[in-house]
Amino acid sequence: MATMKILLVEDDEPIRTALGMFLTQEGYTVIGAESGEGGHAAFERQPADIVLVDLMLPGIDGFETTRRLRRQSTVPVIIVTARDDSYDVVAGLEAGADDYVTKPVFGKVLSARIRALLRRASEFSSPTVWRFGDLEISRDAGVVRKGERDVSLTRTEFQLLCELASKPGWVFSRANLLETVWGYDYFGDSRLVDIHISRLRNKIEDDPSNPAFVLTVRGMGYKLQP
Amino acid sequence: MSLSGRLRRPGLRSRATAAFALGAALVAGVLAGATYGIVHHYLLAQRVSSVENEAFSDARVVKETLAASPNSPVSGSLSSVMPGKGTRSLVYRDGTWYSTSVNVGNQNLPTSLVDQVLSGNPAIQRTLIAGTPMLAIGMPVPAVSADYFEIHSLADLQTTFDILGLVLVLGAASITMGGALVGRWASGHLVQPLRGVTAVAAEIGAGDLTRRLPTTADRDLDPLVTSFNDMVTSLHERIERDARFTSDVSHELRSPLTAVQASVELLALFRGFLPPEGTRALGLVEQETSRFSETLENLLEISRMDAGAADLILEELQIGELVENAVSSYPHGPVPVVADAPASVTVIHCDRRRMQSVLTNLLDNARIHGGGATSVSIATLDHRATITVEDAGPGVPAGERSKIFERFYRGRTATRRNEQTGSGLGLALVAENVRAHNGRVWVEDRTGGGSRFVVSLPFGSDIADAGPGSPAEGGHR
Repeated sequence: MATMKILLVEDDEPIRTALGMFLTQEGYTVIGAESGEGGHAAFERQPADIVLVDLMLPGIDGFETTRRLRRQSTVPVIIVTARDDSYDVVAGLEAGADDYVTKPVFGKVLSARIRALLRRASEFSSPTVWRFGDLEISRDAGVVRKGERDVSLTRTEFQLLCELASKPGWVFSRANLLETVWGYDYFGDSRLVDIHISRLRNKIEDDPSNPAFVLTVRGMGYKLQP
Repeated sequence: MSLSGRLRRPGLRSRATAAFALGAALVAGVLAGATYGIVHHYLLAQRVSSVENEAFSDARVVKETLAASPNSPVSGSLSSVMPGKGTRSLVYRDGTWYSTSVNVGNQNLPTSLVDQVLSGNPAIQRTLIAGTPMLAIGMPVPAVSADYFEIHSLADLQTTFDILGLVLVLGAASITMGGALVGRWASGHLVQPLRGVTAVAAEIGAGDLTRRLPTTADRDLDPLVTSFNDMVTSLHERIERDARFTSDVSHELRSPLTAVQASVELLALFRGFLPPEGTRALGLVEQETSRFSETLENLLEISRMDAGAADLILEELQIGELVENAVSSYPHGPVPVVADAPASVTVIHCDRRRMQSVLTNLLDNARIHGGGATSVSIATLDHRATITVEDAGPGVPAGERSKIFERFYRGRTATRRNEQTGSGLGLALVAENVRAHNGRVWVEDRTGGGSRFVVSLPFGSDIADAGPGSPAEGGHR
């Protein structure tokens, strides 16, 4: 297997160097960029397997960088934030990030997050296609169709949908989903689940505020309506 | 407590009411007294003058009768006098008293009056006979060498005075009551704006710093409203400034720390290439970086809570599951969890990561100061769930039990700064997090030695509903 490429968008030079050296030592190929614009240029020259984006950047900030990346790719994005206020985390996830870590980040934690996001892409074995009304999920092809239209999901959104679809009607708790989709333990941030569910609904539901497929079970979690 | 409460100075409204009542009572009392005095004086003077006229004319009749027939008996001349109702006449002549009534004699006349008349001067005097006020009058009648006396009853006048007095007293009492009512009403009106201030201050105290008092056109209230609102505005600005400062400090400290952290981890990968001293130094740097990082995290978390910028991400969680997970993810050895089935399936509304921080910090505290936690137990009682972390260490002296939840408090047992020292913020953070969940935390003695840290949390409807359908939206402001 070719080495995985990581695009590291970080304006602070010591951090970029130190994290870059650590991740290189962990076996990744690291491409550094010191601004959002630079990150986009680098991604266009050579698509990475995963992107790390600092939120506070000169020029276009981390939110906008994530939003622009999302428009052109479903690549996993981890935001790196020095301010873990609700606002930053929620806004970062809503911009399309798959996960977040807070500074000062432990290199080991970061590489664990990276592994969790990359691992899932190649996990499926038996070919499966699920149909729910006009929603069709081809797990192995990684394709979701709504009626005649292809739905473009990020890998995390797709993984979340497959997890729910694997047991239709079964209620998954947030802790369940955090573990199976993100590889967190019980104490992962449940906002990851909630915001991804909301993003998923925006893409597959006719009326996202009144969902027909992905339902909330009050006080318990989420389920896919069979 | 209740005794001193009862002895407390009466409230503003009570005092205003009392002052109004007292003022009204004073005015009404003076008016009633003056009225009574004037009326009393006037009626009495009128009566005295009429009694004098009557007595003089009666005396003249007696004089003429006695002069016409000097030797006829005095009693005969007395019968020619036709005294009015309630009036008695007496005559003294040659050492003998004559009276129109058997019931009334000279013994009823005041001695001073009799002496004055017998020495040749007319006199008038008030006196009491059998409890009834009377007016006694006497005058010498030298032409027939006799003295004439009359006693007039003042009972009718006294009745008038009594009724007048009663009416005045009742009037004064009603005016006093009226004064008290006006005082109560007026002070209520005066206190009304204070109630508004109280309500708004309470809302601000509860965390809503955007609340202000409505502006008023009242010249007397305007300064209060203006300065109150200015105070809240400057307070709000200050809190926001503090929060911004926290955020800035956070970024400034975290960036270099991130670079240091990653570099140290990279160095650690080359541990095998370092001489023994280098390995020891690396160990120290790793440990201290990690402690610095932890202290910074705790400090920022506490500052965020102080600034009100920390939001709870509330979920409905089974307390048993929460505690089991927190204890099993604790990196320093296993701790037994004790819970009966009903207690452990109790659902509480909480922020799972904050609760993990609470338990981790309590377990750290037990590990550093109490030789390690011996058990974590769960119980429920009266809509409160308790999580108790026990250790078999030296315990916490009674005098230090509230202080250990203060920031950077170093107790007697932790005076040595060694590698076993915590960040100094763990228990303070526990207290803040538990308070954010409307809960309480305290420490007590464990039976058989050691200490018990008890976290008590409300369940049921005692904590705000997170709206589990959208905790992300509901969780932050």
